[in-house]
Amino acid sequence: MKTLRKILLVVERDLRMFLQYKFLIILRAIWFVAQIAFFGLIASRMVVPDLADIYFEYYIAGVVIMMLYSASVFIGYDIFEEAEHGVFEYLLSLPVSRRELVFGRSIGGGIRSFIFVGPLIAVSLFVIGLANPLNFLIAFAALFLFAFGVSGMSITIAVGLKSSDRFDILMGALNAFIIRLSTTMYPQAFIQEASPAYAALTNFNPVTFASDLFRWGVGIERYLTLDPMPVAAIVGLVVFFSAFTFIGVTFYERRLEGGGWK
Amino acid sequence: MSIIRTIGLTKQFEDLVAVDHLDLNIEEGEIFGLLGPNGAGKTTTVLMLSTVIKPTEGTAFVGEQDIKKNPADVRRLIGICFQEPKILWVSTPWDVLNWHAKICGLSTEERKKRVRQVLEAVNMWDHRLKNVHGLSGGMRKRVEISKVLIQRPKIAFIDEPTAQIDVVGKHKIWNMIRELRDEGSTIILATNELHEADILSDRVAIMHNGKLLVCDTPKTLKDSIVGGDLVDVHLEKDVTQGTLEELKNFQEVVDVIAVHPTNLRVYLNKAEEVVPQIMKLFLKRHLPISSIHMSEPSLDDVFVHYTGLTIEEAEQKRPLR
Repeated sequence: MKTLRKILLVVERDLRMFLQYKFLIILRAIWFVAQIAFFGLIASRMVVPDLADIYFEYYIAGVVIMMLYSASVFIGYDIFEEAEHGVFEYLLSLPVSRRELVFGRSIGGGIRSFIFVGPLIAVSLFVIGLANPLNFLIAFAALFLFAFGVSGMSITIAVGLKSSDRFDILMGALNAFIIRLSTTMYPQAFIQEASPAYAALTNFNPVTFASDLFRWGVGIERYLTLDPMPVAAIVGLVVFFSAFTFIGVTFYERRLEGGGWK
Repeated sequence: MSIIRTIGLTKQFEDLVAVDHLDLNIEEGEIFGLLGPNGAGKTTTVLMLSTVIKPTEGTAFVGEQDIKKNPADVRRLIGICFQEPKILWVSTPWDVLNWHAKICGLSTEERKKRVRQVLEAVNMWDHRLKNVHGLSGGMRKRVEISKVLIQRPKIAFIDEPTAQIDVVGKHKIWNMIRELRDEGSTIILATNELHEADILSDRVAIMHNGKLLVCDTPKTLKDSIVGGDLVDVHLEKDVTQGTLEELKNFQEVVDVIAVHPTNLRVYLNKAEEVVPQIMKLFLKRHLPISSIHMSEPSLDDVFVHYTGLTIEEAEQKRPLR
């Protein structure tokens, strides 16, 4: 059987599994609506009146990226659940190479986070509007790289740690840092004013790249930065995706082979 | 021709040697029973042979492929029914088996046919769309074994195939395992149910504390127990000392105990060959027989013979992992 077909079958399995979590998906969607309808509206009233509407749009875009990040991380939790039920052993005994398995799961994790975030992106487009469809398409494609990269990162950490408790703690800490040390919630110019060191760190954060690109794609970023096109963000996401999908796959392929994950 | 050959196969988990320098040859097309109590090292052996875990020492050739050097080629030849069903609880039997058949490369037509055929055969067709968490332990096990029955791999590892399954279901599954063998699969049956191994296996290997104790056909193993056969003879008259002595002179007879003057217990080898001669002796001595009962040693007796423990005692004394 061809490699591509096997990868697609691994992706299919992950998508089917994801659709079983109907209540979780509904709860997350409610969280998103509540977050923008209450917190977003109130927070935007706290900034200077001239920027209130812009910040509201900025905030919505930020929440979309946060949701995309957390949905992409979810695959790591699935791996631990599978390890608990012994399903991981089953997957490792199948006529699928470790590389196909991990690559498929990484893509599956990315796609399912898009299935989850897709309606939320549609809501945000409805609220924010769409200034330039071509920019949006470029940004949308880059967000796929972001989602695959985050899924790959989550799988790498899950396989590397071998303990669901440690994974929980690390992902919680990573989530706290990676979101806060980014431009998801705060524009770069304001972070720079507050703390140049903090601003410098945000420049190397994939969540910053994804947030900047999404805002650029929907046309918000023009109010906040002078960049005609966030090339650095695109390059950053390509590097992030490559690191956790290709190099990462090779690394944990070795860990998986022969039960190194156990 | 050997389809599986293990050479000093060893697996150590920290201080515990789960499998200790295992040397085995499994012939193509046979049902090979891997026997022993829980903790004997059967499942660890299966996991190494299926490349899920790596040996600490030694290696094995599965279908001429080295499990260490060519694990991906090994996985193309094998299918496993795990001891504990490896199914996520949110899945349905249909999803699990349909996807399994797809990933094993079955064509759409063949897949649909076999999934239905096997689900019907294990009485799971009506439950195919239920979530796994709504199924009983026995039903989950039936879904697990359906995987290999649908896949029909060249080499099938079946770990405790009938655990948690009712008597009727057991017989059905035993027949399906035989059919799988008849269709050309080699079957490695890991079990602690010695009766199951006895009736299904062409050859068996008995493991204890990670070591291979003995490997042969069930009949040879049972025959290897000196005086293992038992014959209880009930006479209508009291037996005489002379007849007892004459009985002890049979080459195959190991011991004779007169439980009662009319009730003799004879320990012997090859009972099926000697019993007619014993009956002739009693008739010649004008000692009519009211009843005679013959019993062969079981694989449980073989296990006791080689370990000095019953399988239950061995399980209680197993080292903790």
